[in-house]
Amino acid sequence: MNLQNLSIKRKLMLITMLTSSAALILSSVSFLIYDLISFRRQLSQDLMTQAEIIGFNSGAAMAFKDEAAATATLSALKAKDDIVAAALYSPEGKVFANYSQGDKRLPSSLPSHLQENGYRFEGGYLQVFQKVTMNGERVGTLYMLSDMRQWNLRAKRYTGIIVIVVLICSSLALLLSSRLQKLISKPVLHLEDTMRMVSSNKNYEIRATRFYGDEIGRLIDGFNTMLSEIQLRDSALQRANNELQTSTHELEVEIIHRKRTQDELLTAKQAAEQASRAKSAFLANMSHELRTPLNAVIGYSEMLEEEVQDSGKISNIRDLQKIQAAGKHLLALINDVLDLSKIEAGKMQLHIEVFEIQDLIGEIVTTLTPAIGKNENAFQLRMPKEIGTMRGDVTKVRQILLNLLSNACKFTDHGSISLEVDRLRTAGQDWIRLRVGDTGIGISTEQQGNLFQEFTQADISISRKYGGTGLGLAISHRFVQMMKGRIMVESAPGQGAVFTVDLPVQAAAEQIEPMQPGETVSSEASPEVKTRGDTILVIDDDTAVRDLMSRSLTKLGFHVVAAAGGEEGLRLAKQLRPLVITLDVIMPDWDGWTVLNKLKADAELAEIPVIMVTIVDNEAMGLDLGASSYLVKPVDRERLATLIEKHRAMRFSTVGKPGVPPANWPPKSQKSSRKLEPVGPRRD
Amino acid sequence: MRRLRLIVAVLLCLSTVAGINAQSSDSAGSSEYLIKAGFIYNFAQLVQWPPATFSQADSPIVIGILGTDPFGEIIDRVVQNKKLDGRSLVVKRLKRGAPLRDCNILFIGSSEAAHLEEVLQSTKNLPILTIGEMPGFAVRGGIINLTVEGNKVRFEVNIEAAKQANLNISSRLLALARIVPQAADGKKSE
Repeated sequence: MNLQNLSIKRKLMLITMLTSSAALILSSVSFLIYDLISFRRQLSQDLMTQAEIIGFNSGAAMAFKDEAAATATLSALKAKDDIVAAALYSPEGKVFANYSQGDKRLPSSLPSHLQENGYRFEGGYLQVFQKVTMNGERVGTLYMLSDMRQWNLRAKRYTGIIVIVVLICSSLALLLSSRLQKLISKPVLHLEDTMRMVSSNKNYEIRATRFYGDEIGRLIDGFNTMLSEIQLRDSALQRANNELQTSTHELEVEIIHRKRTQDELLTAKQAAEQASRAKSAFLANMSHELRTPLNAVIGYSEMLEEEVQDSGKISNIRDLQKIQAAGKHLLALINDVLDLSKIEAGKMQLHIEVFEIQDLIGEIVTTLTPAIGKNENAFQLRMPKEIGTMRGDVTKVRQILLNLLSNACKFTDHGSISLEVDRLRTAGQDWIRLRVGDTGIGISTEQQGNLFQEFTQADISISRKYGGTGLGLAISHRFVQMMKGRIMVESAPGQGAVFTVDLPVQAAAEQIEPMQPGETVSSEASPEVKTRGDTILVIDDDTAVRDLMSRSLTKLGFHVVAAAGGEEGLRLAKQLRPLVITLDVIMPDWDGWTVLNKLKADAELAEIPVIMVTIVDNEAMGLDLGASSYLVKPVDRERLATLIEKHRAMRFSTVGKPGVPPANWPPKSQKSSRKLEPVGPRRD
Repeated sequence: MRRLRLIVAVLLCLSTVAGINAQSSDSAGSSEYLIKAGFIYNFAQLVQWPPATFSQADSPIVIGILGTDPFGEIIDRVVQNKKLDGRSLVVKRLKRGAPLRDCNILFIGSSEAAHLEEVLQSTKNLPILTIGEMPGFAVRGGIINLTVEGNKVRFEVNIEAAKQANLNISSRLLALARIVPQAADGKKSE
């Protein structure tokens, strides 16, 4: 059994007994050892004295060699029980006389170490040796052997006494400690009992009794205080628990309620999303449907106007112009709504191409000249001469500028409107900065906050006074974002406004995506696109070639659409009906010959001239298959331009639609009646 | 008891006192006188002379040998270089009729047996330890008589004679001796 796990009672008794016994044993043994040592010394002294007497007495006998007398002298030792043997040795070391009691015999010659007076203990015996002299002359040696009988007896007796005393004292200690330990163990055991009762019954009302004022008494006091505290907390905890249960129940009810609400909300949200999608789809469809009749309205009213002008019925012209203006305004609204719904549906995409900024600006200024003059505003254009080209979605840039400038015109009366175009370079990127300023009514700081949000005009009264959908800025903002640019406004009420648009000169390449058939809604709605006279379709699998062709042809004023493969090229050709198609021969999937075959096999497309642009020198085969011309790379730009011009001229002379000339080609042949054209037919 | 004690044999191989080795290979006679010479020396140790005996503190103890000398050089060698209470021992060989007064110990040889009474008469009342080796020597008035019992040398002491000579004999010596009485008529008592 482990000593450490003994009960306190036993431990106390054990400690008392061990301590007292140890002390007793130690002192007794010390005394015993001391006594035995001194007794032994006393014994040896006695024996030495004895030896001296015997030695003296036997001196004469030794001198006169009287063995009988010597033996008789030794016989006197009979009185001493402990002397078991004695002998007298002659100076030569031979035994002279002998005495023995029992079996012990001394050696017949004197041991060499026993030459001087003295004693020694050896093998449980006390050896004593004494010189025998007569008148100072050595006549022999006495050797005596004692078994220290008294000493052994004394040791045994004393040990016995000590054992008995220790036993008696231990019993007494046991008796006393078994009674006295209760002083300590009783309160401790009581405390333990109480603790067990408390923990097993979970009854914190039980209290331990305090017996004495010692540490254990204080411990018990502390324990009782603790119990009271626990009791107090227990009840508090119980109360809190009850409250918690109640509130938990309430919470559960609440959670169930909320879950139900959440489900309802989710259902409602899904329904709303469904409705929103349906709305977007409806809006898109409606816009397309609305545009078709509007085109008819505008077109016929224009025709009517011309006819009326020719017939001289001047009075009707103003009415017809009002119809046209209303129709165009309506078309603009529809286009805005369509744009916004496409943006919202995430279907608006950029069509990246390289274009001359100067051309774009000139076109916009020309378009807006009547609007600028309407409120008798002055117009200033600041643009470096060599502004160069930029790569981006020209349609969207145009739309942004038209929106901003229209707004400037709309909100400025007898003031001035300015357009600044500039290049700048920040954050390692080239930008085109377009700044549209006016001296109009201005915009307050609060109004600037939601200026670029949909269906929001600066003021409700504005829509009444100035008209408009409020979508223009929102759409511009979205377009700028799509082109990774930024739009800012600086203005104060009455101080005019300055809108700044920064657009990257090089739009990101990954945004170049071919148009999807579903998105070419305007191409169906506006037949003019099919015969847009300046579109050239470039089919080539090499990006560099595509880019180079695009740049050079764009510089010549053509609208360039590029396709990376034959299949895409065929599809675009069907959609765009381009003026000319340039076609590479070596391409993956379909090669140029296959594409040429398919183009010529299609009745709609067979008329479109195809210029082969390739490194394969096989003009005969190309011409056999129906190609119009054959160019070998590297392409001579002059020759390409001449060829295209030739084909264009041929085409217009045969297919010719005189009322619909190309937008930019030739740039100076634009008719004044087309001044609002960009707002109308659109190609997204 | 005393009788018994006298009979106890002395081992032949034992040396004499005074550290002179016994020559067991010597003739029986020389061995006997070696022991006897030792005895004489031992007697000198255990006998006290009256204080007036010696004129000076270092006056030698004179051993006189009267008559035929049975010791030869043996006795000279035994006492040679010995000292008792600061006194050396001197051996003198005396002729009959020579003055005995100067002797402290007088060994009377067997040759003087016929004149024993006369010799003893001349030493009477003098502090002279008379030693003889003839039967009845002590009884006839000598103080110590050396005897041979078996092959051991023993001695007889006449205490009366010692008292008359004013000599004090140690009890240790007496304990080993055979005490004989003084015969009134000088005859042998035994």
